[in-house]
Amino acid sequence: MFQFAAAEESGAQNRLHLFRQPAQRSVWQIHETDPNSIRLLDVFGIRATLRAVTNASHSPVDASLIAELREMIGDDGMVLRATELKVYECDGWTMEKSSPEILLRPRNTAEVSAILKLLHRRSIAFVPRGAGTGLSGGCLPLGAPVMICTSRMNRIVQVDYASRRIDVESGVVNLHVTNAVKARGMVYAPDPSSQVACTIGGNIAENSGGPHTLKYGVTTNHVLGVEIVLPDGEIVELGGATEECCGYDLVGAIVGSEGTTGIVTRAMLKLTREPEGHRTLLAIFADVDNATRAVSAIIAAGIIPGAIEMMDQMIIRAVEAAFHAGLPEDAGAVLIIELDGIAAGLDDHARIVTELVRAAGANEVRLARDEAERTILWKARKRAFGAVGRLAPNYATQDGVVPRTRLPDILRAIIEISHRRNLRIGNVFHAGDGNIHPIVLYDERDADETNRAIEAGRDILKACVEMGGSLTGEHGIGVEKMAEMPLIFSPDDLIVMSELRRVFDPDQLANPNKIIPVPGACVEVAAPRRQVAL
Amino acid sequence: MKVRDSSELARQFGAIVGDAHVRAPREHESRAASIVAEPRDADEVTELVRKCEADSIALAPMGAARTLAQIRPTPVAIGISLTRMNRVIAYEPDDMTVIAEAGLTLGALNDLISARAQRLPVDPPHPDRVTLGALVAAAHAGPLRLSEGTVRDLLIGVRFVGHEARLIHGGGRVVKNVAGYDLMKVMTGSFGTLGIITETTFKVRPIPARYTIASAAFRDAETAFAAATRLHDAIPLIHLEVVSEAVASTLGFSGSPHVIAGFGGNAHEVAFLQTQVKEILGPQSDLAVDAEASAANERLRDFDAHDAPLVAQIAVPPAELAPCLLQCRAEYRAHAGCGVAQISLASIAGAEDLQWTVTRWREIAHGGRGHLRVLRVADEFHNSVRMFDDPPKPALELMHRLKAAFDPRGMFNPGCFVGGL
Repeated sequence: MFQFAAAEESGAQNRLHLFRQPAQRSVWQIHETDPNSIRLLDVFGIRATLRAVTNASHSPVDASLIAELREMIGDDGMVLRATELKVYECDGWTMEKSSPEILLRPRNTAEVSAILKLLHRRSIAFVPRGAGTGLSGGCLPLGAPVMICTSRMNRIVQVDYASRRIDVESGVVNLHVTNAVKARGMVYAPDPSSQVACTIGGNIAENSGGPHTLKYGVTTNHVLGVEIVLPDGEIVELGGATEECCGYDLVGAIVGSEGTTGIVTRAMLKLTREPEGHRTLLAIFADVDNATRAVSAIIAAGIIPGAIEMMDQMIIRAVEAAFHAGLPEDAGAVLIIELDGIAAGLDDHARIVTELVRAAGANEVRLARDEAERTILWKARKRAFGAVGRLAPNYATQDGVVPRTRLPDILRAIIEISHRRNLRIGNVFHAGDGNIHPIVLYDERDADETNRAIEAGRDILKACVEMGGSLTGEHGIGVEKMAEMPLIFSPDDLIVMSELRRVFDPDQLANPNKIIPVPGACVEVAAPRRQVAL
Repeated sequence: MKVRDSSELARQFGAIVGDAHVRAPREHESRAASIVAEPRDADEVTELVRKCEADSIALAPMGAARTLAQIRPTPVAIGISLTRMNRVIAYEPDDMTVIAEAGLTLGALNDLISARAQRLPVDPPHPDRVTLGALVAAAHAGPLRLSEGTVRDLLIGVRFVGHEARLIHGGGRVVKNVAGYDLMKVMTGSFGTLGIITETTFKVRPIPARYTIASAAFRDAETAFAAATRLHDAIPLIHLEVVSEAVASTLGFSGSPHVIAGFGGNAHEVAFLQTQVKEILGPQSDLAVDAEASAANERLRDFDAHDAPLVAQIAVPPAELAPCLLQCRAEYRAHAGCGVAQISLASIAGAEDLQWTVTRWREIAHGGRGHLRVLRVADEFHNSVRMFDDPPKPALELMHRLKAAFDPRGMFNPGCFVGGL
C-alpha cells in the first residue's frame, strides 16, 4: 500500500510518484528514493525521470498574469488577499488544507473560456469550485495555484415543462432548481444533504446522491447535456435535451469526473414529477443490527421506498439535542422510511412495510401525521452532520458502500474498529442503497487521535471492499481516497481511467493530482499541504 | 491491411480457442465478420485481442451482429461471439444486483430472475436474441425506458478487453458508486469500437405486482399524442406508446392511431389508475390485465418493423416528438414522454428515394433539436446512407480522441460509428 493522503509534509516541495513492481501487477508500493521523503508513483511501472525541483518562491501567479486576468474579469471577479483566500483552503474534507494563490469568479462561459485559454498558454493548473461542500477534498488546490469558482454563474436559463427539462448555469444551487419548478409539481430529484448550498456544477463533478436516490437515481441519471470549457479553453456542448446520445456518452464520462475534465458551465437537467403522496415512517429499534436487517427485508419484498435512512444512537442524541425532533433518545437506531407514489396505494405499502420492520425487530413504528411532522424528520436527518459538531471538536464523515445485505456486517465491523482505534463513531446514512456514512469524532489538537481517526476511516473502507463494496457512494475520491483506489482497481484499470481523463485534459491542468496518481510523471505540489494538527 | 487467407486465420484463431470454436459466419453475421471465434472465457478473449493487435486484424463483438450487419460497410476479419460465455456469476436477489457474462441473453437472464419477481427492466425487441454485451454496446432500449431508464441507468459494473489485451473493469457490484471514472457510460453505446465487453453487472428491479395495459384508438395522430400527454401529466406510467395506424394493425388493434399505456402497482393503485386512465383516454379505451396485459406487452416490445425497407430512430426533446413525427410522414412507434420513436416506410422506390427520405428526416430531427439514427435498410440499400448522425464538430473531435486513447491501433470495429470512427 502506498499512502498518499497521509504523506508527511516537510513544508518543502513534494514529488509524488507511484511505483509498481512489474512482477506483481496487483501490488502497489511506495518507493522512497530520496531522503526528502520523495515518493515514487508511476503507474506504468517505469520510474519517471525526476525533474528538477522548481523553486517554491517562483509562483506562476505573477504580476503579469494578474494584470491579464484583471483585464478579463475585473477586480470584483478576483480574490488575491491571503486572508480572504483562507476561506477557500478546504472543502468539507477538513483534514487537509491548502489555499489557492488566486481565486477567480467568472460571470459567464466566455470569461471561463478566456481564463482557461490564458492558463493553458502559460501551463498553469486550476481547480474548479462550486460551493465547496464536497467531502473528499475535491477542490483542495494541489499543485494548482488558480481556483475558479462558478458561484456567479447562477442563472436558470430556461425551463421546458412540456419536455421536463431545465437548462441551468452550473453555479445554480441544487435546491434553487427544485424551488424554481415546484409550483408546477416538478422537482430536480437528486437531493444531497447540502442541497441548500451545493451547486449543480459541484453535483456534476461529484455525481452527487442524496436520500431519495434510492428510487430516483443519482446526478448522472438526471443530466442529459453539458456545456463544458475544456482545459485549453475550448467550449464544447455535449448531449442535449434528448434521451439518446449521438456518439459516445461523453456526458456520462464527465459526470463524476471530479473537475478533472474541465469546467462545466451549463447543464441540461431532467425534471421529475413530484409524487402525488408520501408516507414517512419512523421505525425505532433497540440496536443497529435489527435496523439494518429491516432494510434488507423491505428491499427483498420488492418495495422501493423513496428513501430509507438510518441513524444510530449517537446521532439520534446529537440531533435531539440540536433540533428536538422528537426522536427517542434511548433507541439504539431508527430508520426513516419514506414511501411515495400514488396516494391510493400508499396506505397498503405503509402497512406492509410496518409489518416487515416489526418482524425484523422494530419496537415501535410511527407514521408522520402531516407535512409538518414529515418536514421535522427530514430536517433532523439532513442536518445530522451539523448536529454532530456538538459532540466533538472535529469529525470526519466517511462514505463507503456495501451490498445492502451486508449492512449488519459492516456496522459490526465499524463498532469493532471504533473499539480498536479507541474512537467514537456515529452512523447516519442512506441504508436503502447500502451507502454508509460513519462519522468519526476526534480532536485535531490531539495528533495521535487525529491519526487514529484517519486510520479508522481507512479500516472502514477496507472492510467495505472486503464485503464486495466500494470506496465511495457519493462523496468522490478527491484527495481523501486516492491511496485506497488500488483496493478496488488494478493498475491497468487506473491506466485506462487516466487515459480517459487525458482525452479531455491532455496537459493535466484541470484539478491535477486527484482521483488517480498522474501517470508517468512526477508532480510538484506547489503549495505545501498541511494536515490539520499533524 | 493486406488480404488474408481466411483458412489461415481460422487456423491461427483455432490455436487459441480450439478449432471446434472457429466457424464461418451464419446468416446475418456474414455482413459483420468473415470468420467467427467463440472464446470460452475472458482469458481467451484477451488472447484473441492480443493476436489481432499484433497482426493488425480488425475484430468486432458479434452479440450485436444484426446491428453490425447494418452499420458495417464491410465485414471485419474476425467476429468474437460470446455465446459460450453465458454464465450468471452472481445473482443477489436481496441486493437486487446481478453479475453475468456478456454472452448471456437478456431473455435468459430475465427468465432466471423472474422466479424472484425481479427483472432487468430493459425491453428491446426479441430479448432472446439480445446478449447483455450487445444490450450495453448498442444501448438497446424499449418502452420501459419511460419508468426504468435505459442501460446507462442500470449498468453498475463492466469488464472489457481493451487494447494491449488489457482486461479492464469499471464500477462494482453496489448500486451506488462513484469510485473512479465512469467506464460504464463510456462503454454503453460504444458499438464495440472501444473493446470487447466480457462481463456486465446490473441493478435489477421488482416486477410490479399487478400490471395493466390500456389501449385506445384516436381519429388522428394529433389527438392521440394530446391524450398521451394528458395521461403522462396525470399519473405515473410504466410505459406510454403512441403508434401509427399501420403499426396498430400489426399489433392487432383496429386501424387508427393508438395510445398504449402500461401501469401497475398494488391492487389499490391499479384500481385507482384504471379509473384515471378510462377517464383520460375516454370510454373507447380497452384494458387488459395481468397475463393478458403481459402478452400484449410482448407484442408491443417485439415490434421492430422487420419487413420495412427503411427503419430509423428519431430522438428529440419529448415535447417535439409529435410535431416531428407528423412532418416525417412515416409509420411510427413512439415512446411518448421519452422523445424517442422508431419510424419506418413500407416501401421505397430506390436508393435515391431512400437517401432523400433519410435526409429529410434528419432535417426534421435537427429542427426539433434532436438527431436521427438509421436502424435498418433493406439489403439492396446496404451502404447507401449514413447510419449515424454526426455530433457537432467539437464533440466529434473529443470522440476521436477517446477512440485514439482506447483503440490507438484502430482494431475494434473500425470505420462504422459516428464520424467514421
